[in-house]
Amino acid sequence: MESLRIPTGIAGLDEMLHGGFLPQTANLVEGATGTGKTTLGMQFIQHGIAACAEPGIILSFETFPQHYYRDASAFGWDFQAYEAQDRLRVIMSSPEVTRADLQQINGRLEAVVNQIGARRVLVDSLSHFDRLSADPVELRRITYEFINGLKRLGLTAVLTRENAALLGETPDNEEELAFVADSVVMLRYVEIQCTVHRALLVLKLRGSDHHKDIRQYAITGQGLEVRTRFEGTQGLMSGTPTMTQAEAFVAAFLSPDAR
Amino acid sequence: MPDGDDFATSLMNDMDPRLLELIQTRINSFIKWDLVRFFHDNPHTADTADSIARYTGRDVRIVEPELLQLARDDVLDVEDLAGMRIYTLVDDRDVRELIAAFIRACDDRQFRVKAIYHVIRSLR
Repeated sequence: MESLRIPTGIAGLDEMLHGGFLPQTANLVEGATGTGKTTLGMQFIQHGIAACAEPGIILSFETFPQHYYRDASAFGWDFQAYEAQDRLRVIMSSPEVTRADLQQINGRLEAVVNQIGARRVLVDSLSHFDRLSADPVELRRITYEFINGLKRLGLTAVLTRENAALLGETPDNEEELAFVADSVVMLRYVEIQCTVHRALLVLKLRGSDHHKDIRQYAITGQGLEVRTRFEGTQGLMSGTPTMTQAEAFVAAFLSPDAR
Repeated sequence: MPDGDDFATSLMNDMDPRLLELIQTRINSFIKWDLVRFFHDNPHTADTADSIARYTGRDVRIVEPELLQLARDDVLDVEDLAGMRIYTLVDDRDVRELIAAFIRACDDRQFRVKAIYHVIRSLR
């Protein structure tokens, strides 16, 4: 039986997720600066409000709400209007305060969830939690507790996290956080023949199958667009892929030197 | 005939009396002006003085007393949360509308000149 899904509104991604995220889950979107993590999260919120009648919350740590309003309007999404209609709240706070608020009964966040009937939340970004503890085990415990707090409120969450490396693999400590999330979407820059492309991979989706191929994506005027899978290359997630043997063989025969 | 000071005062008092009262009694410093604008622009912010100081690019030692005064004057709410003092904009619709009217009025240069005059008088 097909389980209920929470679609992101990003056609190619929802296909990879077999319809969307699972309800009341925490979904980590991880990537380097400029890869479109926040755009993906805003699209998830926008789609919830506009297409699914699911109000949303953006929990921002240190990014001003005006930035979301401005960036959203560039995609044609009127977040200020949604706020005026009680379908969205953009809340700026610090991780310390948000965590403490979520721990208490009838906290401020819980009141907002009840007031607007929120079903989705974008947490932007989880990277700010790093300052709560230098100990990775303690940080994992704090993150786990925070994620469970969001689930307790009935929210399906997209949590962004910045990867310090522009190209290449995830640093070791990221794997700790990937473990506590229900799904992990990786956004990567990939260099192919002196051109930087964007690559998307659904690394895991707890409780469901998903497509495991690495796909190209673009940020267009309508938001993220997930396109076809990369063909003929391997080692994409290293940031500097090489051609597959078959492609290298073909390329060798097509090169001017071979003629 | 009024003397120069009285004449200037009467000119400077020529604004919506609700806004005049707001400036004279509650937004009576430039730091408070900044803070009120910040909370107007970010109405769902709930945070500590330390974070708000960082968001507004100021020193927390200067910002915190002003936040406390705004809370005392019913512009902000303050609550204790796990040992932290958290500031938020009051929910009161009238206060929020008054602040919105003040921010809108600030788009007008003449109004700003008058408001600055009253803030400087308050600081004396």
